[in-house]
Amino acid sequence: MEAAALTGPPAWLERIVLLAIPPAAREAVAGDLWETYRSPRQYAGEALRTVPFVIASQMRRNLNLPALMLHGALVFLCLGGPAATLLLPALMLRDAYQATARPCPQHAFRDSVLLASGVMILLLQISVRFPPGVRSGLDAFAWLSLFLQALFLSPFLCLFRAGLIMLGDRKVPIAASDLPLEELVRNYRDFTHDVRRRNLLQAAMLALAAVCAFFFAWNVMLAGLFLLVAFFLLLDTAPFPPACDFVSLRARYQQALARQQQLRRFLRWLWFAPALMFLQARLIESSLTAGRPVAAMLGSIAAVILCFLVMALNREHGGRVQEEIGALDRMRERLTPAAG
Amino acid sequence: MPPLDSLGQFEQIVLTAILALDDNAYGVTIHAKVEELSRPKKASRGAVYATLDRMEDKGLITSWLSEPTKERGGRSRRHYRIEKSGEKALRESARTAQRLFETIAQNLGGLAWKPPR
Repeated sequence: MEAAALTGPPAWLERIVLLAIPPAAREAVAGDLWETYRSPRQYAGEALRTVPFVIASQMRRNLNLPALMLHGALVFLCLGGPAATLLLPALMLRDAYQATARPCPQHAFRDSVLLASGVMILLLQISVRFPPGVRSGLDAFAWLSLFLQALFLSPFLCLFRAGLIMLGDRKVPIAASDLPLEELVRNYRDFTHDVRRRNLLQAAMLALAAVCAFFFAWNVMLAGLFLLVAFFLLLDTAPFPPACDFVSLRARYQQALARQQQLRRFLRWLWFAPALMFLQARLIESSLTAGRPVAAMLGSIAAVILCFLVMALNREHGGRVQEEIGALDRMRERLTPAAG
Repeated sequence: MPPLDSLGQFEQIVLTAILALDDNAYGVTIHAKVEELSRPKKASRGAVYATLDRMEDKGLITSWLSEPTKERGGRSRRHYRIEKSGEKALRESARTAQRLFETIAQNLGGLAWKPPR
C-alpha cells in the first residue's frame, strides 16, 4: 500500500478536500486518500465519493439528541419556529465540523478586531445616512459618546479573548503519553465526579432562576425550559463502566467528554438567553414597531456582541475538550510490572 | 450493548476484514479487504468509514491513531481492533450463515464448497 503513494495531490486540491472533511476524521481520511493517490482526477473522484459518508457519519456520531432538542426549544423560544427549523440541521452540521483544537490566539484576536471594526463601520454608516433627529432621539453628544465607546470595543473584546486563552492555558491538559490502566481509571473517575458535581450545581442554579422567573412573572416558557434542563442535568451522568480494558475505557472517556462538551455549550447559550430575549423584545422589536430603525440596529449590534462573547466561550472550552479527546486518541497503555 | 444478532451483512464483512488484517487494520487496508471479501460487489470507502464509526460506537471495535508517516503526507493512520463483543457478534453471525448454507445445500444441493467447521 505504501509504495503506491510516490507523490501527493496538488496543494490546492488537497486544501479543498481537507476543508470538506470534518476535523475529527481529517487526519485519518486525508491520510488514506493521500496513500492511495494516483492522479488529481482519481483523488478528487475518491474524495467526492468518500467525504459525504464521512460528514453524515460525523453528524450521527456527534448527535446528542436531548441537548439538540433542548437547543431547538431555546432557539424556538428566542427566534421562533422557522429559525428553529433552519437552525437544527445547521447545529448538527456544526457539531460534525467542530474544531479539534482551541482557536489559535491570532485568529481569536483577528475575530475580535473584525467584529469591532464592523460595528464602527455600521455606526459610521448610520451617522452619515440618518439625520440626527432620526437617531433614536439621541443628541449629538450622546451619539459621540456611543461612537467613543465603540472605539474601545476592539481592545475590550481582545482582552476578553486573551483572558479566555490564559484561563485555558492554566488548565492542566491530559498528557498524550503512555499511562497505566489504573491511572486512566482514576482520571475517568475524577471526571465523572466532576460532571456529577457540576450538574448538581447547575441544576440548583437553574431551578433557582426558574423560581425567580415565576416569582417576577418573567417569560414563563423560558422559565419552564430552565426547569426542564435542571431536571435533565440531575438525570444526566457519565456512568462508570464495569471492568474493561484500556482501549474500551479510553473510548468511553472520549464519548463522555464529547457529550459533556455539547451539554455545556448549550448551557452557556441558555444562561445568556434571557439577556438576548430582553434585547430582542425591548430594543429590537419595540424600536421597529415605534419606527426607530436606528435603535433597532443598535439593539441588534448589542445582540451580536453578546452572541460573540458566548461563541468565544464555547470555542475556547470546546477546543480544549477536543484537544483532550485527541490526546486520549494518542495515549497508549503503559504496562505496570505486575500487569506485564 | 446491542443484541448480538444485530450485525448487518456489511458490518459482518468489515468486522471480518479487521479480524483478518489483525495489527494492520486501518482505512486503506480494511477497504481493500472488504472489496476482496464482497466480490463481485464494489464497496465505497465512505461506506466503510461510516460502518467503522457505527461499530465503534456500538463497542464492537476500538480505534487509535498511529504515529504520522511520510507516505501519508505526514498524517497518522487510524488503526482498528476488534473487541470481545465484536468477536462474539461475529461468531454468532458465522453460525447463522453456516445454518443458512446447510439448509440451502440440503434443499438445492450442488454447492461447490463447504464452510470450515
